[in-house]
Amino acid sequence: MNVFFNLPRREFLYGLGTSLGSIAFSALLAEQTRAEQKENPLAPRDGHFPAKAKNCIFLMMEGGPSHIDTFDPKPALEKVHLKEFVREGEQKSAMESGKRYFVKSPFKFGKHGDSGADMADNWQHLAKVADDICFYRGCKVDSVNHPTAMYQMNCGNRFGGDPAIGAWVTYGLGSMNQDLPGFMVLPELSYPQGGAANWSNGYLPAFYQGTPLRPKGSPILDLQPPAGVTRERQRKNLDLLTRMNRAHAERHPQHDELSARLANYELAFRMQMEIPDAIDLSGESRNTLSMYGIGNAATDSFGRKCLLARKMVEKGVRFVQLYNGTWDSHDYIERAHGNLIRGVDQPIAALISDLKQRGLLESTLIVWCGEFGRSPDNGVRGGTKYGRDHNANAMTIWLAGGGCNAGHTIGATDELGMSAVEQVHHVRDFHVTLLRLLGLDDNKLTYYHAGRFKLLSQFGGKVIEELIA
Amino acid sequence: MNRFLSVCALFSMLFGSGLPAQELTRTDSEILFVRRVGPLLREKCLGCHGGTPDEIEGSLDVRTMAGLLAGGDSGEPSVVPGKPEASPIYLSATRQSDDWSEMPPKQAEQLSRVQLEWLSDWITSGAAWPDANRRKEIENEYEKKWASEDGIPVKTSGGLGADWTNRKYDPAGLWAYQPVKKLELETDGKRNAIDLLIEQAFPEGLRAAPRADRRTLIRRASFDLTGLPPTPQEVEAFLQDPAPDRQAFAKIVDRLLQSPHYGERMAQHWLDVTRYADSSGFANDFERGNAWRYRDYVVRAFNNDKPYDQFVREQIAGDEIDPNNPELLIATGFLRMGPWELTGMEVPKVARQRFLDDVTNSIGETFLAHSLQCARCHDHKFDPVPTRDYYSIQAVFATTQLAERKAEFLDCENRSGFDEEAYLRKKQQDYRQILAELDKVQLDKAQKWFEKHPARKKQWDEIIRKLKANGRKEDFFNGARFLMSKAGVPESEYPPNRLGFSPKQFGLERIARKGLQRLKWELDRYQPYALSVYDGLTREVKAVVAPTRIPKDRLKNGELERTAILAGGDPFSPTEPVSPGTLSVIDHLVPSSIPKSVDGRRLAFANWVASSRNPLTTRTIVNRLWLWHFGEPIAGNPNNFGSTGKRPTHPKLLDWLAATLLDENWSIKAMHRHIMLSDAYCRSSRHPYPELLRKLDPQRHSYAVFKPRRLSAEELRDTMLAITGELNKTVGGIPCRPEINPEVALQPRQVMGTIASAWTPNPLPEQRNRRSLYVLKLRGLIDPMLNVFNLPSPDFSCERRDASTVTPQVFTLFNSQNSLTRALTLAQRAVKETSNDREALVRCFQLAYLRDPTPRELQESLSHWHELEKLLPEQPPSTAAPPRQIIREAVEENTGEKYTFVEKLYANSDYVPDLQPADVDRHTRALGDFCLILLNSNEFVYLY
Repeated sequence: MNVFFNLPRREFLYGLGTSLGSIAFSALLAEQTRAEQKENPLAPRDGHFPAKAKNCIFLMMEGGPSHIDTFDPKPALEKVHLKEFVREGEQKSAMESGKRYFVKSPFKFGKHGDSGADMADNWQHLAKVADDICFYRGCKVDSVNHPTAMYQMNCGNRFGGDPAIGAWVTYGLGSMNQDLPGFMVLPELSYPQGGAANWSNGYLPAFYQGTPLRPKGSPILDLQPPAGVTRERQRKNLDLLTRMNRAHAERHPQHDELSARLANYELAFRMQMEIPDAIDLSGESRNTLSMYGIGNAATDSFGRKCLLARKMVEKGVRFVQLYNGTWDSHDYIERAHGNLIRGVDQPIAALISDLKQRGLLESTLIVWCGEFGRSPDNGVRGGTKYGRDHNANAMTIWLAGGGCNAGHTIGATDELGMSAVEQVHHVRDFHVTLLRLLGLDDNKLTYYHAGRFKLLSQFGGKVIEELIA
Repeated sequence: MNRFLSVCALFSMLFGSGLPAQELTRTDSEILFVRRVGPLLREKCLGCHGGTPDEIEGSLDVRTMAGLLAGGDSGEPSVVPGKPEASPIYLSATRQSDDWSEMPPKQAEQLSRVQLEWLSDWITSGAAWPDANRRKEIENEYEKKWASEDGIPVKTSGGLGADWTNRKYDPAGLWAYQPVKKLELETDGKRNAIDLLIEQAFPEGLRAAPRADRRTLIRRASFDLTGLPPTPQEVEAFLQDPAPDRQAFAKIVDRLLQSPHYGERMAQHWLDVTRYADSSGFANDFERGNAWRYRDYVVRAFNNDKPYDQFVREQIAGDEIDPNNPELLIATGFLRMGPWELTGMEVPKVARQRFLDDVTNSIGETFLAHSLQCARCHDHKFDPVPTRDYYSIQAVFATTQLAERKAEFLDCENRSGFDEEAYLRKKQQDYRQILAELDKVQLDKAQKWFEKHPARKKQWDEIIRKLKANGRKEDFFNGARFLMSKAGVPESEYPPNRLGFSPKQFGLERIARKGLQRLKWELDRYQPYALSVYDGLTREVKAVVAPTRIPKDRLKNGELERTAILAGGDPFSPTEPVSPGTLSVIDHLVPSSIPKSVDGRRLAFANWVASSRNPLTTRTIVNRLWLWHFGEPIAGNPNNFGSTGKRPTHPKLLDWLAATLLDENWSIKAMHRHIMLSDAYCRSSRHPYPELLRKLDPQRHSYAVFKPRRLSAEELRDTMLAITGELNKTVGGIPCRPEINPEVALQPRQVMGTIASAWTPNPLPEQRNRRSLYVLKLRGLIDPMLNVFNLPSPDFSCERRDASTVTPQVFTLFNSQNSLTRALTLAQRAVKETSNDREALVRCFQLAYLRDPTPRELQESLSHWHELEKLLPEQPPSTAAPPRQIIREAVEENTGEKYTFVEKLYANSDYVPDLQPADVDRHTRALGDFCLILLNSNEFVYLY
């Protein structure tokens, strides 16, 4: 508890409130530049292909989870464990170069499900839904630096400033529920490296920006007036403001932005009552809460996020991104990854089973990944409690639901997990594949900006067909 | 590479064949193939269908007619001569066929209507595929005709291939490279040349709106030139001025140009373009402690009306002009404005290249209105900018190195508030204390460790003893480990790093160690250093974790970078070496000679940019000035005069302004006078014949009426502070930290594996209530109020502000603590300065709207006030003081476990709040609600 966090207004941990009213949330970020602009940019639209996936829940394991210690066992590392070697060269960062030693995984692995998926034994819950998952081991990215790699995974462009995948998807498909934003983000209390640019609308119109819900304080800034301002008082102020704005508009009949700004106030007034209800978990059964691990210290935080993600998908939110981390375990990987896996294992497994039992898994694509994988070796920093450094050449991404090729492991890394060697694709191909699963064609999902047609994959890419059922 | 070639096809659509298809002969088919269809196949299809014979998609090979007739996997011929509607190649290209997938696959590469016609005509007329001899014959026959149709060649330093070098351009897209032409205008000396040129361009039958009234004009001019509203007294004086309208207004413009706030307003615009921020961005987001001095340099430059050519030279090469003049060292901060860092997790050469790419593009966008980055990986697709030019310009900066250089403070620099350094010193002390405690923990643990591994205990103890004897004060554990390692002791025989740390201790160690690093940058703020550059060799640096000073051996230690064209922009793929150079397309207008020596490259380049003969430089700045007054630029993309940018709506006017800038010896203030004293600038925003205007000028390009605009984020905040009387109008100085939403202020922000310090507002109202220009601008933490009102991201050059209307703006303006405090303070001021309720309300209207209320408005607001008062509680809710410390929760990266730590917020212990509800009576608080309405109203927010 942040005991000195003395907010003079209502606080919302995800969970307090009553029912979801009928509101026109779509206009929350609506760029109402012209009064006569009637077309709703968030209206649901067909994609370019028929698709099973209608929604996407993107589980972003920020910091770079180790494929070697989660889903890609490397028994060969046992033989070279703690063997030293030297790696140099001007193409290496200080972190990657110099004296290094190989390290084996501290975790035991097993085969799970009918598909025999490889998983570290720590994934006790996820193992039970192994057959719903499609593992992919062939992805490569360009950067070993967190924020640039995060930007690339989230927005396609290493240097940030481009629209996030969620923004592209809502731009392409609109949202199925006009009462909520189409792209919602559930960050950790601590924002990821690179900050809010990870869910930016970039050069797309502001409607498509990810709306973060803060886990502490006001979920959206200044959603409520300060303490002591009653609804009645605010309504009266708003009424006079409206009258004054109307009188002003009569004096400036040719200024067409005025009416949009006027309407904006009414919308905001309704919204500040309705949003808290929209993120309410109090209607969920005790069983459901415990299934997600809510109430258990290790899993409570991510469990809430996963349950909220399911609720949002049920309500038709197009794209939900959940953050967890940081998985940046340079040292003491056994403890660090052990704890991190424990924190997400049950919630994610619950999310998959819950969506399945509600018949929503087929239409919901779940993505699990970090911004890169980790190295089979560690820099010699004098410690014996080893960890792993960043690795842009190998990682594990997995998909569930949404028409993915569940029950298969696609691609492979080399014997030591240093680099992808089979079904190798740049992350841009993974992006193109995600869009395809959602019925979108990367080549057509373009936006003209700064002199050229921009797209998520930057320069175009290929669908990784093997990831699609 | 083929699809990158012959982009002239894009423009030649303007010169299509235009013959009716039924009249086409076999010969026409041959000609059409040579002229259009052959190049089209090469550009659009060959990449996947034959360009790489080993990888032919769908087995369709378009290199020969035989290949086309054989077709691909479908087994059907791709072309059925005479029948385009039966030819898959045509059907695919139309993108309308149910049977054939859309080609080319990328929407961005789809065929234009005219290109489809060529393809259709070619098939209709028999799909001829002449052999090489026949093709040559046709080419020879039509060479001259086609050359004139295709546009004109442009001489540059040359592309990577002959096709690019020899390609033709639509002359209309080359306007920016033409010399500036000043029209000889026949003015009678009374009419402003700007007005003549604008009226000449009026659509037939359009009339201009009348002159705006004085009240509107003074508000417009004050915001445009200072970013602040006029005071009610200034408005009154202007209204009462018996001088004729134009003369009276000219006096206002002169007065505003003399205001110290003029430079602040212009700096805001300039820093949008140059991407000013007080931090470095990316993973570390280290503060740039000295950046504020560059910001103030820009303010001074505008206030002193520094000739623009000099302004350009100083920002590009101030250090080369005079390394002993602090002002000129500060000026080169421009070159450092992009986000940049080098962490241990990054490849140094990649980081260096990022700086070079950043500065190359920034120079292009800022001064030359050219987005040069388009030429980083290949010759520019549309503009005559070869990739060779990109790297030649980059070579200018190959000896430019980043440093925080010693630069003594100038008398004109505001150095107040430096005593805030004490808060940082306390924090530094805390971090050192943490490390000392952890050192002790580890030393104790080491002793325990040696109980089990006794072999080297003696040696260890001896090292510790010596370290102490030698006067070392801290970090014994790591020091001893280092010496053990140096003495060749195997790692297993001395205690491991971070011995026995708990998750919390892991976290604390990192926070303290990285915190000390970050403080080095912040403490630099109060030292006489400038964010600057020097000329020298490129040194081998693995990570930059502290401000960099100029090395003594700048010319000895390191590598002299030899710039080469980089294949694909990859620093590890150099190809042909290049020499320092300029934009070759205007070489004939502005010759240059850039030395290859380590020193002096930038000055020679700056002289080329700032040459009076450089048509890009003069047009770029006058176009920006126009935008800053009218909300619309003449050429629609102020950072891009290339063919993908919007063409000038008033090319003659643009040239007249550029030429006039030279006539005025590069004086920016003189240009403001020319522009603001035009009738066009002084027009009403209300047109007497709106229907006519809509019909004749639907795009609103005519300047027949003035375009209203919403106040920018900074203007909104500054105006609120100004009318309440709270604004501290001091010019320049170290950044200030206003109060922001606690959610954001205390939001844990990850920077390079640790958590950045919380945002603590300046303790005193006068320190934090400064102009928004001075608000600390961290790339990773932007003031949410400014953000929501379209403050541009400092990561990209902003050529023009957006002013969208989004709902979070309502939350900010109507609900935030800041808005309520401003409203309350305005109410208090009005009550204090008047003797009854009516007068108080009149005062509120005067301050917010610069006018008196109408009787009806007065009545309505009076009754609202009194009604509200009844709703308010007798005692307002108490507001909490900001926390003196916060307890942070974090996930420790070594262990994945949660831990907490205490962060002390020292500045908050001296905190003095702004006006609080409890400081005033209920009557005033109720007026505060009315003031909140004023601050939210459209009349307040829009400028007419």
